[in-house]
Amino acid sequence: MPHIIASTAPRVSIVVPSYNVEATLEETLTALLAQTFQDLEVLVIDDGSSDRTAEIARSVPDRRLRLIRQKNRGLAGARNTGIFHARGTFIGFCDADDLWRPEKLAAHVHHLDSAPAVGISFSGSELIDTDSEPTGLSQQPRLTGITAAHVFKRNPIGNGSSPVIRRAALDAIAFRPEGETARDWWFDESFRQSEDIECWLRLALTTDWEIEGVPGLLTRYRVAPGGLSAGIDLQFAFWERMVEKLTPIAPEFFAREAPAARAYQLRYLARRAISAGNAPEAVARARASLAASLRPLVEEPAKTVTTLTATAVLATAGAGMIQRAMALVGRRAG
Amino acid sequence: MLRIAHLVDDQSAGGVTRYLSFISGTPGMAALARHQIVPVSRTRPASVHVKADLIVSHLAITWRGLPGLIALRARHAGTPLVHVEHSYSEGFTAANVPARARFFTLLRCSYALFDRIVAVSEGQGDWLTRRGLVQPDALTVIRPTVDLSGFRALPAPEGRLRHFGAIGRFDRQKGFDLLIQAFRDVPGDDLRLTLYGDGPERTRLEALAAGDVRIQFAGFAPDPVRAMRQCDVIAMPSRWEPFGIAASEARAARRPLLVSGVDGLADHVRLGAIRVNDPSVEGWTAALQRLAGAQMPTSLPPRRIEEQATIAGWRNLLGDLLAGGDPIALQQERA
Repeated sequence: MPHIIASTAPRVSIVVPSYNVEATLEETLTALLAQTFQDLEVLVIDDGSSDRTAEIARSVPDRRLRLIRQKNRGLAGARNTGIFHARGTFIGFCDADDLWRPEKLAAHVHHLDSAPAVGISFSGSELIDTDSEPTGLSQQPRLTGITAAHVFKRNPIGNGSSPVIRRAALDAIAFRPEGETARDWWFDESFRQSEDIECWLRLALTTDWEIEGVPGLLTRYRVAPGGLSAGIDLQFAFWERMVEKLTPIAPEFFAREAPAARAYQLRYLARRAISAGNAPEAVARARASLAASLRPLVEEPAKTVTTLTATAVLATAGAGMIQRAMALVGRRAG
Repeated sequence: MLRIAHLVDDQSAGGVTRYLSFISGTPGMAALARHQIVPVSRTRPASVHVKADLIVSHLAITWRGLPGLIALRARHAGTPLVHVEHSYSEGFTAANVPARARFFTLLRCSYALFDRIVAVSEGQGDWLTRRGLVQPDALTVIRPTVDLSGFRALPAPEGRLRHFGAIGRFDRQKGFDLLIQAFRDVPGDDLRLTLYGDGPERTRLEALAAGDVRIQFAGFAPDPVRAMRQCDVIAMPSRWEPFGIAASEARAARRPLLVSGVDGLADHVRLGAIRVNDPSVEGWTAALQRLAGAQMPTSLPPRRIEEQATIAGWRNLLGDLLAGGDPIALQQERA
């Protein structure tokens, strides 16, 4: 590895899982190295890229950057390798196409320093497009009083570039599955989707570390145009596998919360289908959501009604109408 | 002779009651002080007349009980008060407490009424200080125990390990549901899993085990030594376990012991238990499979006299509280 490790450990490690990200990596690294809180290391985990990812990471002239290369293990496997090599007391995550506002890390460090029971500190996110321009949409989750039920239903952490996590909290959920000889797992590498929520929920159900947010849209989260309608089935399958995996750990919790959480998940998939202009998919998911539970309608009536209306409009009037309707009624996403 | 009053509100046949039998019935403990077990109401512990040099609470802390603890402190303003925390731990909080800040406030308020808090394991003690519930200098760790001689006298299992056992109350705390699901996925017609116990989860556990003839329910075991004798391996997949005396019993009986590693079970891992750190069904299946049919190791760790450690813990605590940190002065005072 062509880097020099400083003699004293930095307070924060930022893990950047990177797979074929030559188009965006440099901008991401620039944003991370420009943080106002400077006592950090950035660990670029090149997860078996076939493009110029490693070359770009090497070309950044900053000794706080470390490049670690591995055969492809997927997002969870790249994050785990990052955690394994991280030397900081706090560990942040930023996907290689997302950006951090300059003051983001300072806010999380202050938060974790002043609230010793908090294990995961997160923030809201501004959604940006391929040119890093704001889309006008944002994720503004609940920040305090978060229980396992909130994590399960609404995932306030929002996306994989939002949290900064206390090392001690990660250590509390480390495990080593059969057949793994190299290092522990924190994220479950057998998941190709829903690996975030599986990790957060496992932490919420098996430890007493708090999950809490700081104000501000400190993460800039990039969304691909059009959405990925084709991935919806797979995404839902992994979400259900997460439920299946964690249910034996806390059966009463899942008996109580799974129907509503499933309804929220299906509502989210319906919204993604709407964004992709896929009317049959949107109708199917919206119907399934209502069949799973009516609690989203009670707990978040505006957003649920908007989703149902948009589904109906899409099914009857087409995609152009939807773009205008969504622009009128909601500025939030997720 | 020193008089110690142990206040209890739980008369069930659980670990607390068995520990109190050890405290009041063991010569080593009797040499330290005269121990009086005083049953009290959880909400009104001060209503019973107590005359003692030291009062030890074994009560479960609750919001409803807090005024009673304040009254206890007021009534015995000049007597050192010690609380032994038998109930709460990180795993308990994770599994049972959605509103943690409020719960921690209760614990901080209650603990502040005592001169010393006794944690029942290093794992629990670490949690109490990590969460700022107890100041480090007000915390003492004394692992509870029972008379383990019956377990030590058992012959170690021989040959291949085939019979898995789980002993304890059928409560979701114990995680036997997870164990049954995991065991079902372990191949081997000659393997057996026997669950000794009873409790509110019984019907659910039986339903989970239905169809797998290798899984048996032996009912409540009034003699845990006999239950232990029948098992080659003991499994404790507990969701929370402030200490886990059953783990001490399994180790004393030289049974390979699989534990979830939460709370006090981490102490047992340091003392020789096998940690299953993947809490999923698959994780437990893999751990069971690794032992199933394996040859029992011939050389075992030396036997430990855990009772002596518990007695020494109390001796040091009494020295701290009653003789300015000098256990020898304590003995002279007594003589």
